[in-house]
Amino acid sequence: MSATSPAVAPILDVADPAFSITAPEVHAARERSWYATTPYGIAVLRYDEMSRLIKHPKLRQGSVAWPAHNGVTEGPFARWWASWILNKEGAEHHRLRRLMNPAFSPKLIGGLVPRFQALASELIDGFSAPDQCEFVSEFAEPYAARVIAIMLGIPEEEWPIIARESVTIGLAMGVTLREDLPQIEDALARLYAYCDALIADRRKNPGDDFVTALVNASREEDGRLSDTELRDAMVLLIFGGFDTTRNQLGLAMQTFSRHLDQWALLAERPELGRAAVEEVMRVNPTVRWVTREVLEDFEFEGLELTAGTTVHLYSESAGTDPRVFTGGFDITAERKPHFGFGGGAHHCLGHFVARSDMSEALPLLARRMPDIRILAGDSWLPDSGNTGPVRLPIGFTPAS
Amino acid sequence: MKVTVDMTMCQDHGQCAIAAPEVFRINDEGHLEYDAEPGDDMLEYVEEAADVCPVQAILIADS
Ligand code: HEM
Ligand code: HEM
Ligand code: SF4
Repeated sequence: MSATSPAVAPILDVADPAFSITAPEVHAARERSWYATTPYGIAVLRYDEMSRLIKHPKLRQGSVAWPAHNGVTEGPFARWWASWILNKEGAEHHRLRRLMNPAFSPKLIGGLVPRFQALASELIDGFSAPDQCEFVSEFAEPYAARVIAIMLGIPEEEWPIIARESVTIGLAMGVTLREDLPQIEDALARLYAYCDALIADRRKNPGDDFVTALVNASREEDGRLSDTELRDAMVLLIFGGFDTTRNQLGLAMQTFSRHLDQWALLAERPELGRAAVEEVMRVNPTVRWVTREVLEDFEFEGLELTAGTTVHLYSESAGTDPRVFTGGFDITAERKPHFGFGGGAHHCLGHFVARSDMSEALPLLARRMPDIRILAGDSWLPDSGNTGPVRLPIGFTPAS
Repeated sequence: MKVTVDMTMCQDHGQCAIAAPEVFRINDEGHLEYDAEPGDDMLEYVEEAADVCPVQAILIADS
């Protein structure tokens, strides 16, 4: 790693399977220095530096190199990955973003709120026991998948298709990407067929929904989304919206189970739902790091950053930086913005949806599930990259 | 039309500059600059910029 002076910067062994990105060791490193060195590049630990680097013009989004790092350079997966909006920059990225933006407008999403509420109530009504649930399979997963079904305007019963194919494509996140490739490419092919049918249907029967908005999106200088761009976009919305929302809801329950006074407050004052989402994503974001790559050499805060260096920005570490945030977890506090939805040109496209559906779900959960506690049998994804619970049994006092 | 960006809220994400590059731009320092009185032919794009701003910092008024 040419970009750092290891003599002063702390070293974090991110590649160690036991490494936890929210461990005291990371917070201690943050007190010594704004960055640490890791086997992948540098890790940015403080709020101010993260805020400036996440949208720095001399950095680009850094996930583009992932398949190649894993020895996958051709085939449908590599092609699809490269086509993905997160992996595009400059004029190409801006065009895609402009064409997709209107489908994600807060106006279009506002109309869906009653359906989010009805869905949350239905799922809670359906818990198999009066005083406990397995939160991931009984709430977070069907909720996240059915919100997407609602957006796409497909029958909500078809949500397991979304869940199943997403989980398979999600194997791409893992270090066994190469071995899992045939399975991933099959899932991708099935999702493509599904999306193609949906696009054809909306061409024939336009509505006032999300897919119609994408199909009809056009701007003079940008043209339209091609058929390939449309289905790539839809596949990635399914993937990008599902895992993230499911994981973030599970993490919210973990945080609130440690702050039952705040949970009771949220039950009493549902209008705090928005603030609750922000506060949870500040201290317990599912996207633990955001990746950037240095485009050209430059100096930043005394550090020489050289082209090609990977920069991981640690959202939880920045979100709990004591230079900026004090007073612990508090859904009534005025806070500076967190980085749970990334930032800059690649700022999450789906954040209005995610904010809106989670801020409906959390107050309802708080009202219907008082005194939550995590029961034995929980299991978790590794605490790095993107994290969240795999199984999360939760006990509560039945609401009267 | 009159455009105001609440600079205490703005986080320089630059989404407005993607939606309406004729009116908003991110300068070499990475900060937002904008035309506060764009022509009315820009209205559609400015509205889109106001819509996509992640922190909803953009205000449009008739002038
Ligand atoms: C709690 C839920 C969610 C979280 C935590 C989340 C987080 C993020 C983050 C951190 C990024 C930016 C990465 C970067 O700056 O490098 C991002 C980008 C993106 N997200 Fe979200 N997201 C969520 C939900 C959604 C949903 C529901 C959708 C779509 C329906 C979505 C679609 C996207 C897309 C398309 C991008 C790429 C944008 C671009 O590259 O221009 N996300 N998300
Ligand atoms: C809109 C869709 C998606 C969103 C919002 C999303 C969210 C994210 C975010 C925010 C990160 C961390 C970003 C960063 O490191 O800067 C990430 C990393 C990653 N995502 Fe996703 N994800 C999406 C779709 C996918 C899909 C479809 C795949 C695989 C097929 C995938 C595989 C990965 C991998 C391999 C990484 C690690 C890359 C790295 O750290 O360099 N993601 N994802
Ligand atoms: S989109 Fe909003 S936050 Fe981003 S630069 Fe424009 S006004 Fe500022």
